[in-house]
Amino acid sequence: MVHISDGILSTPILVSGWAISIVVMAVTIWWCERRRDVVEEIPKLSVMTAAFFIASLIHIPIGPTSVHFILNGLMGVVLGVLAYPAIFIGVVLQAFLFQHGGVTTIGVNTLIMGIPALIAGAIFRIIQIKDLEVFQNQSKRNSEALTGIVAALAGGVGVLFAVVFAAVTLIATGSQFFEIAGALIAAHIPIIIIEAVVTGSIITFLIKVKPELIRIKEEPR
Amino acid sequence: MKRRLIPLLLLLLLLILSSAGGVNAHRLHIHHQIGAIEIKAYYGGGTPCQDANVTIYGDQGNLYTEGLTDESGEFSFPPKIGMNEYTVVVESTHMVGHRGETTINMSSSGGASGSSGEEMPLYMRIVAGLGYLLALGGAAAAYSGWKMKKKYGGG
Repeated sequence: MVHISDGILSTPILVSGWAISIVVMAVTIWWCERRRDVVEEIPKLSVMTAAFFIASLIHIPIGPTSVHFILNGLMGVVLGVLAYPAIFIGVVLQAFLFQHGGVTTIGVNTLIMGIPALIAGAIFRIIQIKDLEVFQNQSKRNSEALTGIVAALAGGVGVLFAVVFAAVTLIATGSQFFEIAGALIAAHIPIIIIEAVVTGSIITFLIKVKPELIRIKEEPR
Repeated sequence: MKRRLIPLLLLLLLLILSSAGGVNAHRLHIHHQIGAIEIKAYYGGGTPCQDANVTIYGDQGNLYTEGLTDESGEFSFPPKIGMNEYTVVVESTHMVGHRGETTINMSSSGGASGSSGEEMPLYMRIVAGLGYLLALGGAAAAYSGWKMKKKYGGG
């Protein structure tokens, strides 16, 4: 699963997980600070992190095991690059309060869920900007529906990549990669579908009621 | 006829009583057997952790025994007399990357049963987590407000 426990990975992997996560966090905060005030984004970040933190408690039993929601795709779509520090905070809280994942693996787990969140955010923004240019003459309703579909795609991709990243990390345990990856992806197919639908509907709703919450075009300050 | 029967019956009664008392007193037998230590592994949400690798280490950190959990996530092993502490490690095979560890100490008072990581009820942990996030969001909002006020000369 995407939250790896203590005592499974080797020290070099744990250390590089922490190192990469710290660097990525610094870069994402700097990137965001260049465009807008980070402090002003924190209340929104807190709400999204709360959703991420709670989502991991919703379990769906599948075959001999159970999987839970991740919502990293939604984080990436709503928060953009700030999804990474937000996921870090969420993973820290999950590790200490739910013993979900490990303490030493916070860095690696943030990487596994955070990078796909950034990918999902990028997919949403790139396709969305293209859409705006191509479909400028389209009706408002069409463009809303389109936004929902793109968001759903981003939500699904977020989970899919998180699972693939988790599988890649677990090769280090000496297990067979394709076996693990296959089993993990198969178990997560329902989650991928449900999260795609959830992300699509939440974004469609937000675009309708509060479009400024999801800034698509980020003009430099 | 009747007069001869009574002493005979008395004699018979005496015989029964004496034999019963002598040979089969109300002796209390105690048979004892120390049962196995039972563990149950499950994922958050209660799904049993099937076919997981269980490794039991003794008090010196030495390997004591190992095996697999059954379909309800249970595994049991006989304790060794004189050894009071066991470290149980469970590693999921269906969800590689999941691992749990607990220490069973039979000499401490809470040794009869226990669970790893259940000191605080779940709703309290949820409240705690949301509390931290609320504080973070609130602090940032307060800071933004203060900056705004300063920028516009205290409104």
